[in-house]
Amino acid sequence: MSAGVAIQGVDLAYGPVRVLKDVSLEVRPGEFFAFLGPSGSGKTTLLRLIAGFGRAQAGRVLIGGRDVTQVPPWRRNVGMVFQNYALWPHMSVRRNVAFGLEERRLPRAEVARRVEAALALVGLADYGGRRPSQLSGGQQQRVALARTIVVEPEVLLLDEPLSNLDAKLRVQMRGELRDLQRKLGTTAIYVTHDQEEANTIADRIAVLDQGVIQQVGTPIELYDRPANRFVAHFLGTANLIEGEVRGGAFQGGGIRLPLPSPPREGPASLVLRPQHLAVLPREAPVPPGAVRLEGTVRGREFLGSAVRYSVEAGGQLLLADGPHRRGETPAGPGEAVALCLQPDQAVLLAG
Amino acid sequence: MRRNTGSALAALGIAAFLLLFLAVPVLQVVRVAFSDGRGGFTLVNFQDFFRTALFAESFWNSLYVALMSMLLATAISVPLAYFTTRLELGGAILIQSLGVIPLIIPPFVGAVAMQLVFGRSGSVNLLLESWLGVTVPFMEGLNGVIFVETLHYFPFLLMNLSASLANIDSSMEESAQNLGASGLRLFRRIVFPLAMPGYVAGALLVFTKVFDELGTPLLLNVTKMMGPQAYLRITTIGVEDPMGYVLSVIMVAFSLLAMGLAGLALRGKEYATVQKGAGGLAKRALRPWEKAGCYAVVALLLALVLSPHLGILLLSFGRVWSFSVLPEGATLAHYAEVFRETPQFMTNTLLYSTLAAGIDVAVGTAIAYLILRTRLPGRHLLDYVAMSSLAIPGVVLGIGYLRTFHGLTLPWTGQPLATFWPVLVVALSVRRLPYALRACVAALQQVHPSFEEAAENLGAHKLRTVARITVPLMSGGILAGFVASFVTAAVELSTTLMLVSTDANAPLSYGIYVYMQSAAGRGPGAALGIVAVALMAAGAYFSNRFIGQGKLGVGAAGGAAA
Amino acid sequence: MRPLRLMLRAAALAAALALASAPARAAELEPKLVIVTSFPKDLYNVYAKAFETKYPGTKVEVLNKGTSAGIAYVRETAASPADLFWASAPDAFEVLKGAGLLQKYQEKARGIPAKIGAYPINDPDGFYKGFAASGYGIMWNTRYLKAKNLPDPREWDDLKKPVYHGHVSISAPSRSGTTHLTIETILQGEGWEKGWRTILEMAGNFATVTERSFGVPEGVNNGQFGIGIVIDFFGFSSKASGFPVEFAYPKVTTLVPANIGMIKNAKNPRAAAAFIELLLSPQGQALLLDKKIQRLPVLPSAYEKAKGLPNPFKDLSMGAAVKFDTGVSKSRYLVVNTMFDQIITFRLKELTAAWKTIQAAEAKLKGKPSAQAAGILEQAKKLAGTPPVSARQAGDKQFLGIFRPKKKGQEVPKRQAEVEKEWDAFAKRNYAEAQKLAAQAASMIK
Repeated sequence: MSAGVAIQGVDLAYGPVRVLKDVSLEVRPGEFFAFLGPSGSGKTTLLRLIAGFGRAQAGRVLIGGRDVTQVPPWRRNVGMVFQNYALWPHMSVRRNVAFGLEERRLPRAEVARRVEAALALVGLADYGGRRPSQLSGGQQQRVALARTIVVEPEVLLLDEPLSNLDAKLRVQMRGELRDLQRKLGTTAIYVTHDQEEANTIADRIAVLDQGVIQQVGTPIELYDRPANRFVAHFLGTANLIEGEVRGGAFQGGGIRLPLPSPPREGPASLVLRPQHLAVLPREAPVPPGAVRLEGTVRGREFLGSAVRYSVEAGGQLLLADGPHRRGETPAGPGEAVALCLQPDQAVLLAG
Repeated sequence: MRRNTGSALAALGIAAFLLLFLAVPVLQVVRVAFSDGRGGFTLVNFQDFFRTALFAESFWNSLYVALMSMLLATAISVPLAYFTTRLELGGAILIQSLGVIPLIIPPFVGAVAMQLVFGRSGSVNLLLESWLGVTVPFMEGLNGVIFVETLHYFPFLLMNLSASLANIDSSMEESAQNLGASGLRLFRRIVFPLAMPGYVAGALLVFTKVFDELGTPLLLNVTKMMGPQAYLRITTIGVEDPMGYVLSVIMVAFSLLAMGLAGLALRGKEYATVQKGAGGLAKRALRPWEKAGCYAVVALLLALVLSPHLGILLLSFGRVWSFSVLPEGATLAHYAEVFRETPQFMTNTLLYSTLAAGIDVAVGTAIAYLILRTRLPGRHLLDYVAMSSLAIPGVVLGIGYLRTFHGLTLPWTGQPLATFWPVLVVALSVRRLPYALRACVAALQQVHPSFEEAAENLGAHKLRTVARITVPLMSGGILAGFVASFVTAAVELSTTLMLVSTDANAPLSYGIYVYMQSAAGRGPGAALGIVAVALMAAGAYFSNRFIGQGKLGVGAAGGAAA
Repeated sequence: MRPLRLMLRAAALAAALALASAPARAAELEPKLVIVTSFPKDLYNVYAKAFETKYPGTKVEVLNKGTSAGIAYVRETAASPADLFWASAPDAFEVLKGAGLLQKYQEKARGIPAKIGAYPINDPDGFYKGFAASGYGIMWNTRYLKAKNLPDPREWDDLKKPVYHGHVSISAPSRSGTTHLTIETILQGEGWEKGWRTILEMAGNFATVTERSFGVPEGVNNGQFGIGIVIDFFGFSSKASGFPVEFAYPKVTTLVPANIGMIKNAKNPRAAAAFIELLLSPQGQALLLDKKIQRLPVLPSAYEKAKGLPNPFKDLSMGAAVKFDTGVSKSRYLVVNTMFDQIITFRLKELTAAWKTIQAAEAKLKGKPSAQAAGILEQAKKLAGTPPVSARQAGDKQFLGIFRPKKKGQEVPKRQAEVEKEWDAFAKRNYAEAQKLAAQAASMIK
């Protein structure tokens, strides 16, 4: 039923513009996978390539181990939910959903049965006779989903399916989508530019930028071990300290951080999440093993559960989160503080 | 590659169609213009053209008439278009529909009627003379041509301008009002500039049509113009005389030049307005006296543009109309005669126009699809070639057909191909293809590609997708294109006159023309004209309604002309 | 040799007999008859119906075209020809005959005399037959003349009078075979140079030159202009249709037969022959008296029932003043037409302006005679009344060759377009000069 998808060395250009550059990746059967990236990163292009739209200049697409690079969209059996739903306005909801089954020349009775079942599955059992224009955005989204899953595709492709819904509905639909995918067991690939959406819905994420896959991994892996600056910045907030690896330690920005298994010497940078930089009073001691850094508060933002400080230290501005407790006054601008850095939380990037 | 074979085949088919029925006949004409009569190439014929005072005057006359018609058409179209699209005025659809009717009267019938109404002894001048002792030379010489052509062709401008105006989001107007602009200033500085593409498209169409026009000047006995000179040379001196072809080539070249200039004028300017909000287009409400003023202007303009129809109507019911304000005696005999004697004119027209319009929307849809949905090399060339038929005067095409096909005969009957009626249908469809093509392109532009991708994604191959999704979603625009092609094909005369072979195979426009050539035939001819107008008007009105409250119809028909 | 030739002759005779017996075997005609005609619907419809009633198995298809367009059509479709060419102007038939596009036919009908007026009814070579006669004349709208207080015109010379300035119309001879005959009649009746003087002087009064023959009666019928130079049946049929119009034959006119001829290699020769016979039969001749047709029959007995039509077989003065020479007419057909267009049709504004000034000066001169002014005025009239082509040139074969369709490799002294350019320049210059002189003359009369 569900099939894996493999992309191998895909290059795609529109005229002089290279949209995908040597993209390779593997989506496992039954997995909920997300393409995450800013607009123009090529994520939708990649999704459409899997569906058979667009033509790569190089590389292959495999679905369930079968090379489908030359297979036209209508013979691929991958279901796609379009960003604008693409519900045909000249057909009723029922006819919309029945379309794919009719194209597969199924007996009429079976078409009817499966259409009703699909509509019931998305909670629109009574809406078959309506026109798409008579439905709300959320309902249209469900019809689009029903229309796709009714043909039991090997892979479900979702192109920013929630972007046209309001915030609250988005969160609700996110959950429903995830549940539905689990129930059906279909491989799903989900395109989004929203890292929170990707984190909450996907088993694994591929981060794309400028047509290049930056990193593939689970949401936690991406957060904790970003492969590069782009990933580090795109998933959550990060401090980046420029420096170099020399003598078994990272040096830069006024810090010297010994490395247990030092990589090749040369320029490098250090990624630090704000929550891994503790803000302490200047005179407070740091725990053993931690690196201490002195600085001055330049600004602060109240986040509710924490306070985010901008601290000038070692010639740069670092973001650091301090806990907030009732009755406590956070440090104000100009106040001298100490920053405490846990070496095991820092990620070292070469270059 | 396999995925493109269908499109490629369609493109080849259309290319063959355009080549055989447009390019080859026209190139035949061009070839003769550059021929020295012994098969060699020469420019001497063009030298003769430029050195002959008569031709130079003809050229300037055509240019003058075309420009004046364009200006007059602007004066009629701007108020009608603005009132019906931007103001809250009841009966806008009706006004728009009435405004399109002049297009569907065969122009020579209009000329006959306007002689009776505005001619030197027409109703208006007889009244003026008896009241004020003066007459106005409405119909003398070039004036008459300008007058008749303006009333006949201004709907092109009206439709295009209306479509453009209807597409301007009211927020544009409102923000200008918010910044202090109002009234004429608002119209001049904001509304009209935004409607520029539609205006230019429509004005260009009026210009080229009038510049090439043949029937109207001939009927008004104005011969010092390009179209008539070309026609007269070829029909009196013979198909071997090169000057007729030279004139044709110069007309085509000038039309293409005008189209090119208009394109340049619009290039690089941003006219696309922000997508319409959910509320759609708000029309401005009017105070009662404003409304009355608008209706008065509309009534005056409609009375003017529909006066030929009134003239024809009177003629069709009158016994004798000679040197009098109104005809004498009422009769239904003329109608009885045409229904008894020549019903085939009506059925032929329905058949030919339906087939021609059918070919047009089929080819138009296919070209639109190829342009917008494929990356086939040379697809835009198809578009340009198809559109270029706008620049080909009907006479030139007719001559080209005669030259190209006259040597060929049908295998089973031995009938010359040039006089075989389906050839006339093809000629009509080539003549009217640009209207349908633009309507189809506009319609397909409004269909988001994801509709088709969704179908393909669900297992429908290209052809099925086109049949089940694309075409149904385009249906409004296709229908508008069909109507535009149909009604204009039904009144086409210049090509028809060249290619009709027998009475039995002749369409309405030809029938009216033939009737109008005898003293006793004027009444029946007028009756036939009224039948034609009634048929077409009903068709246009109902399709306008059918397509959806007039907006789409007008828009698409307007797009047709762009 | 001899026996062989005899045998061949016998064989040919046998073949001819076999062919001749074919129609005898089937008195029935071909199922179709295709006629190319310049006649209006009102005329051809009557005959087509009569024919179809008489021969129900044959369907008549009519191709209605102007005379010139009809000739062009017959020429272009020679590979698969129509059956009959049916039109007014004998010149058109001469052109077709000259191009070898007609075939001979010997009619069976009896009782039709050899001549009508001074004109032979049938082509002496047997290629085409006259079936009705028409004369050229003047038609006027009675209401119009009354409203404008104008006298009825009777003669060509009347049309030169200043009172008619801007009230007369004619169709271009290049567009109307009948007008061409009118022009030729005047030219042959008065001679080339004097004829053109008359024509140009008349043209000085023209309101318009129409592009279709019917444009003239149409304009007179609805009162756009008061007077038209037309072929008689336009006048008669308009009157019969109820329009307030009258028609008169001037003394110088030619009664010319309207004709029918079988096209070479006609597809349906039997039906074509039957149609010709019907046309020439008493029944067919009687149909000419239909109120929408109103043409003069060529069968004298048909006049017994004719009301309101003059009988040229009784009134022998009709059409007898000019002996019309078709040979001359044919030889200069295109020259006359082209010249008329160049110096009159396309320069009408300049020409009428010149003559208006001349007429005004003449009126002034009448009150106060002045020899000097009269002399200048005469010069002006000469300028505005002289054609660019002399009588000698109009008979020059090489010159006329310019206007014929060229055979491959044939050299002509000039291209037609060049000659036209000269004529146009000639007319423009002369008319301007004439107007200037006339104005000068007028200013001298104080």
